[in-house]
Amino acid sequence: MLQPGKAIKVTIYLSDGATHHGVPIYSSILDFLFYRGVAGATVMKGIAGFGADHHMHSSSLVDISDRLPLKIEFIETREKVDAILGKLEELAGSGLIELQETTVAKPAQISKPKKTVPPAHLKIEGKAQMMRIYLSEEDRWQSKPLYEALVEAMRANDIAGVTVYRGVLGYGAHRRIHKDKPLLSSHHGSVMLSAIDTAEKLQAFLPLVDRMVEEGLVVFSDVDVIKYAYRAVDAEAAAASQQPPAAAGNAQD
Amino acid sequence: MKEQFSGRMIRIHFGEDDRWQGKPLHEAILAKCQELGIAEAIVFRGIEGYGSGSRLRRSGHWSFSKDAPIQLSIIDREEQIARLLPFLDAMVEEGLVATSSVEVIRYARAAAKTGEKP
Repeated sequence: MLQPGKAIKVTIYLSDGATHHGVPIYSSILDFLFYRGVAGATVMKGIAGFGADHHMHSSSLVDISDRLPLKIEFIETREKVDAILGKLEELAGSGLIELQETTVAKPAQISKPKKTVPPAHLKIEGKAQMMRIYLSEEDRWQSKPLYEALVEAMRANDIAGVTVYRGVLGYGAHRRIHKDKPLLSSHHGSVMLSAIDTAEKLQAFLPLVDRMVEEGLVVFSDVDVIKYAYRAVDAEAAAASQQPPAAAGNAQD
Repeated sequence: MKEQFSGRMIRIHFGEDDRWQGKPLHEAILAKCQELGIAEAIVFRGIEGYGSGSRLRRSGHWSFSKDAPIQLSIIDREEQIARLLPFLDAMVEEGLVATSSVEVIRYARAAAKTGEKP
């Protein structure tokens, strides 16, 4: 929670046309900041500029440029910035990230208490909880499918794993039978998200579900996690853990 | 609108070819759930599986064999599920019914009663 006093201002410089998995980088960064509960962020579009490649990017009537400079700014506490900086660097790709000491004179007012960020990559074994969320496939959140937004939000909050199932038939809160018609456009189905993690982490994530899900059912049940195996992401991570599990079960989808 | 309660979840496993009075069994059960006003029911089709009798079921995406494994999940309060169970006893001839107790949060839009979506 941002308090008056010392804080860090983070500025990320990008070019507009840059995409990551087909999504504009600025929008995936903004989503990430939102899901991690950053106090606020602004994306600004430049009129002209140049970056590391020393190509001049400008807008003119002749060429409709889609590579204008972009700037994302947010202000957060030192701890929070440290916690998300690694992932930010990864998301920003070739962009530049600047940190600046700043002083908050007055934090912005918020209407709701913010959630706390759960510790990353908690090892889960033994008692855990399964959270299932039932939705309609048509439900949307900020112009993208709600189930997709929820998966992104869970990833950003280090929920151990989530799988989305599409039902072939079903009905939910709005009492309409959803039927999957394989030959027609089948975007009218019921979907279920199933996530497993510790009760604390799922409970910490719940306020976000509260805000994102307008209509649907969230179901909790107790489970015992027998095995939580994962593949090491890169060589460094493999070296860090002395015995990476060889035959890792694919817990995440 | 948000309500929270303790409930029960049933999962029923059977094959896609199973029928009840000429209709696919999963459609028949779903219709019964809707008639009883059960909160949530959803049918999943598995890719591969086996059940009673150890007969392998496989969904035929490329062939004509279609006896895919079906899983039906039903969630509601205990008393609602209790009303449904006698019907399941009669309808499911071959299959597996598993139940577990769950904590439920239900979100509904204010205008959800009419079935209209804004």
